[in-house]
Amino acid sequence: MSYLVLSKVRPALAVLGFFSAVFFSPLIPLAVMILLAFRYAAWEVLVLGLFVDLLWFTPDSTGGLFGVLPLFTCIGIVLVWSLEPLRSEFLT
Amino acid sequence: MMSSYLRNERQATRRRLIVATVVVVLVVTVDLLSGGIVRGFVRTTTSVVWGIGSRAMSAVVSSGFFSTRHALQSENQLLKREVAQLQSRIAGLEKSEEENAQLRDLVGMIQGPVGVTAPIVSSTRSSPYGTFLVGAGKVDGVVEGSIVMAGSSERGFVIGEVSDVQEHLSLVTEIFAPAVEIEASINGAPIVLKGQGGGNARGDTPRAVTVDVGDSVVAPSLGGRLIGVVGAVSSDPTDVYQRVYVRIPANFSTLQFVYVVPRPQ
Repeated sequence: MSYLVLSKVRPALAVLGFFSAVFFSPLIPLAVMILLAFRYAAWEVLVLGLFVDLLWFTPDSTGGLFGVLPLFTCIGIVLVWSLEPLRSEFLT
Repeated sequence: MMSSYLRNERQATRRRLIVATVVVVLVVTVDLLSGGIVRGFVRTTTSVVWGIGSRAMSAVVSSGFFSTRHALQSENQLLKREVAQLQSRIAGLEKSEEENAQLRDLVGMIQGPVGVTAPIVSSTRSSPYGTFLVGAGKVDGVVEGSIVMAGSSERGFVIGEVSDVQEHLSLVTEIFAPAVEIEASINGAPIVLKGQGGGNARGDTPRAVTVDVGDSVVAPSLGGRLIGVVGAVSSDPTDVYQRVYVRIPANFSTLQFVYVVPRPQ
C-alpha cells in the first residue's frame, strides 16, 4: 500500500468515527477508537470519546458510578495511554 | 541505536497526547462547572447537522435511485397489506375510543395535562446511553423530569424522560435505556423492568402471575401510563419465576414527533 493511502487512513477513520457518532450505532465510534488507538498515537481518540459524551451523556447522580462517569471519554483515555507502550515497542 | 529524529518524534507525539488529554479533562470540567454550556453547543450544532443529513438521506431514498423494479413491487405489496391491517386496527381503536369517552364522561375524569409537541432532532439509535434529542427546551416550558410520549397524552405511551434541558433542545433518556430500572405493572402484578436499550426491557415475575404476549405494561410512577407491551414470556419448569420481555409498541426509528408533558405529582 502506498504512503499516500496509508497517510489518509487515520483522518478517514476519524471522520468515520465522528460521522457515525451522529448517525449510526455507537459500536462504530467505539470500533474506530480501538482501531485508531492500536495503530496510532491518536489524539482523535480522546476527542471522539469526548464528543460522544458531550452529545449523548448527562451526568445523573442517582445512577451511581455509571451515571456520573463519561464512559466514552474514559474509554478514550484508557485506550490511548494503555496502548502507548505497545505502540512504542512495535509500531515505530 | 535509536536515531535522534525518531526519539524527537516520539517525544513530540507523547507531548501531543498529554496536551490532548489535559484539554479533554479541562473541557469535561468546564462543562460540568458551567452547567452544560459545552454540551449545549455540541448538541445544537449536531442537531443541525443531523437534520441536513437525514433530509439528504430521505431525499435519496425517496427518489428511488437505488431501488430495483422488483424491490419496489415487493414494497408496494407490503405497504398495501400494512394499510389493510392498519385500517382494521383503526376501526377497532375508534370503537374503543368511543367507549372510553363515554366512560370518562361517566366518571368525570379530568383532562390530561397540556404538553408540547416536539420534533426528534437526532438519531434515536446512535447514543450508547439510550438518549436522543428533541427540539423543545426551556423556552417551551420543558423541565427536567418531564415525560416524553409517543402519540397524544390521552392515548399515547411513554417512551422516555427529559434528563437535560437547554434553551431550545432537550436530551431524553429512553424509558428502557440500558441499565435503567423502572417499576411497572402487568395485569396488576408489580414487576421491576431493566432496560436493554432499543425500546426493550426485561424483568422477572412469579410464575403464578398470568402474563401473555400483547399484555399492556403500565408504570404507576408515571401516572399509570402505558410504557410497553409484553413481547415474549419464557419460563423454566424448575424456576419459580418467569422472564418477561417487554418492548415499546412502536419503532423508534419511525418516530418523528413526540409529546412532552409534565411529570405527574
